[in-house]
Amino acid sequence: MQKGGIFLNTEKKYKSVQGKQRAAGWAFLMPATILIFVMSFWPMIQAFIMSLQTGSSANLKWANPITFNYTRMWQDKLFRGAVFNTFFYLIIQVPIMLVLAILLAQLLNNKHLKFKGLFRTMIFLPCATSLVGYALIFKSLFATQGLINDVLVRLGILETNYNFLGTTGSARVVIILALLWRWTGYNMVFYLAGLQNIEYSVYEAAKIDGANGWKTFWHITVPLLRPTIIMTFIMSINGTLQLFDESVNLTKGGPANSTITMSHYIYNNSFGEGVANFGYASAMSFVVFIMVAILAFINLKVGDKRD
Amino acid sequence: MKKKLLTMILAGAMAVSMMAGCGSNTSSDSNSGEKKDDTASVDTSAEGDKELSVYAWDENFNIPALKAAEAAYQKKDPDFKLNIITQSQSSDVEDAVTLAGSSGDYSTLPDIVLFQDHYINRYVHDYPDAWQSVDDADVNWDDFSAEKISYSTIDGKHYGFPVDNGTVIFAYRTDLLEQAGYTIDDVTGISWDKFDEIGKAVYEKTGKYLLCMDGDGNDLPYMMLQAEGVSQFKDGKANFVDNQTMVDVINVIAKLAQDNVLYLANDWSDYTNQAIQGDMVAGVMNGNWIIPTIEQVAENSGKWEITSMPTLSGKEGYASNGGSSLYITGNCKKADLAKDFLAYTFGGGEGAAETYDAALTNGGVISTWAKAGESDVYQKGVEYFNNQPIYSTIVEMGTHVPTVEQSDYHYTARTQVAAAIHNIIDGADTASELKNAQDQVDFAMEGGNN
Repeated sequence: MQKGGIFLNTEKKYKSVQGKQRAAGWAFLMPATILIFVMSFWPMIQAFIMSLQTGSSANLKWANPITFNYTRMWQDKLFRGAVFNTFFYLIIQVPIMLVLAILLAQLLNNKHLKFKGLFRTMIFLPCATSLVGYALIFKSLFATQGLINDVLVRLGILETNYNFLGTTGSARVVIILALLWRWTGYNMVFYLAGLQNIEYSVYEAAKIDGANGWKTFWHITVPLLRPTIIMTFIMSINGTLQLFDESVNLTKGGPANSTITMSHYIYNNSFGEGVANFGYASAMSFVVFIMVAILAFINLKVGDKRD
Repeated sequence: MKKKLLTMILAGAMAVSMMAGCGSNTSSDSNSGEKKDDTASVDTSAEGDKELSVYAWDENFNIPALKAAEAAYQKKDPDFKLNIITQSQSSDVEDAVTLAGSSGDYSTLPDIVLFQDHYINRYVHDYPDAWQSVDDADVNWDDFSAEKISYSTIDGKHYGFPVDNGTVIFAYRTDLLEQAGYTIDDVTGISWDKFDEIGKAVYEKTGKYLLCMDGDGNDLPYMMLQAEGVSQFKDGKANFVDNQTMVDVINVIAKLAQDNVLYLANDWSDYTNQAIQGDMVAGVMNGNWIIPTIEQVAENSGKWEITSMPTLSGKEGYASNGGSSLYITGNCKKADLAKDFLAYTFGGGEGAAETYDAALTNGGVISTWAKAGESDVYQKGVEYFNNQPIYSTIVEMGTHVPTVEQSDYHYTARTQVAAAIHNIIDGADTASELKNAQDQVDFAMEGGNN
């Protein structure tokens, strides 16, 4: 009896210690959890509720039917155009940028390269500039009377000044160029960090086995960098789908809305032109959210080679 | 056991300190945030009894006008003070209104706001509590241009005090016209076809465009239609496709652009900095508030002159574009003072002549108040415009502007029609592009009214 009592007692004590530990864990987590919930999740829930409503922002009513804002989107030519533009940037720009970043990282990881620090800084520097600032600089560079036009005309490549930002095709190219300039260095830094984690002896072993540079790159560097590549992919997709500053500041979505991005269109619906169509804008935000989630999920599945 | 207790206490202390940290942060923020330049909110309760706050945005234009009004009213009441809160651009004022209206918290608004006339209709419908009617103010509304007052009169009630004047001027570089063999009289009271002909000759001789506009916020269709007395709207609906005048006007714009008579800039700064100030053009047509922009180029002084617009038929055209008014917000607790101040100054009261004269001298703000045109300041010739008395001319021109149907969806229509024009210049079919634009405006209206 007594023994049993003691045993019971210790078990009880043991349990309560575990309970206290658990409580301590929760106590540590609580502040951050509460803040994230209040600052991020609560507004998301509110935005979802708002996406089911219509009317002026001061007087929102439940939409009739409740999915009105969501079904409306598929008839909205401008929204479809914005989705097309965004995916156009995504499909063209992200692969070019990541390949460039990985090549630059490879170059700058060379042990024998001189002025490594200087080159790394120069390539990384664009991403320390403000988004609005660099967009405005690109705008003045590519203006009809801007530097690029001046140089091209003087070199005889162009006959007369070309309206780069006023023509659909070239305006899109300028946006992609701007994005490449701004973000390649940023991704390169991740690859550099990844490369630094690869033992040099692995490369030496490959060299001894007779692998050339190309083979080493494809069969050693890329597989060992896989986690980094996946991460940069997800971040780039996420970033491109939310592209806003370049569209607003470089081209204002023009000409004829042919370079507008989804986020820019969402902004126009909430603040542009005094419209204040917050219900519709929230609904579009949710669709963008779902797109990002799906793409990230696919990316994770494709990149996951564990099975 | 003691260790666990210590852990708990530490965790608790951390949580508390974090919360406390946040708390003290916010309180110190709100202390330091009481400065008047904090645009997020205006503390009207801290003002004196004789003080009013107002949002405006242009240091060279409407802020001198407000200062002039303050000085004029101080003669009536020396204790009066106007607290002018400068915003960086007009859309900042509009965003502040949208934000206050959406949250239902009008305490963030100042007593008076200044914003562009095309917005007020929509704002009164969307946020009725945000505004105070000024029907009972001591103002003779007939002294103002009827077209200007039509914006701020909603369902028969007056809401705004007009400040500036949007009457459209067509300014020409007479020296460039001369090189092509024309004078200012040759371009007054002509048809757009004739204008196209002259424009081609000017471009050939001088390499300058005879007309320019911001192709993104393209106000040409609106102005050209108003000069014909036609609106883009009919009974509250977009009226593009079956509107023959509109089809003709759009075709004229496309033709002018294709003939190198019209330069469509990519955006506003391209329009003002490159096209106008960069000496790319021989003509500018816009609301007369564009004059200070033209005057920035000192070496062209004396070469410009203004006249009326061309029309489809060839009679002299008059239109109005842009311009803003002052509105008393729902947050204003001193509505009587605000009404008295505005009626005394901008509303044509005893201080009006002084206000408008100083506003013109210091900020280039031209009034729509008919009596303002009689003052000496308005009659004076302006050196930059070859000593033409442009201000009284503009006030006179303003009286001819026809009133056309306005819509809450003015800017939506402008965006869509601008896109259509862009495509038409590139060779798309006018009818189908206008149909598309009309569908888009209908679509926006349907969403807003559901």
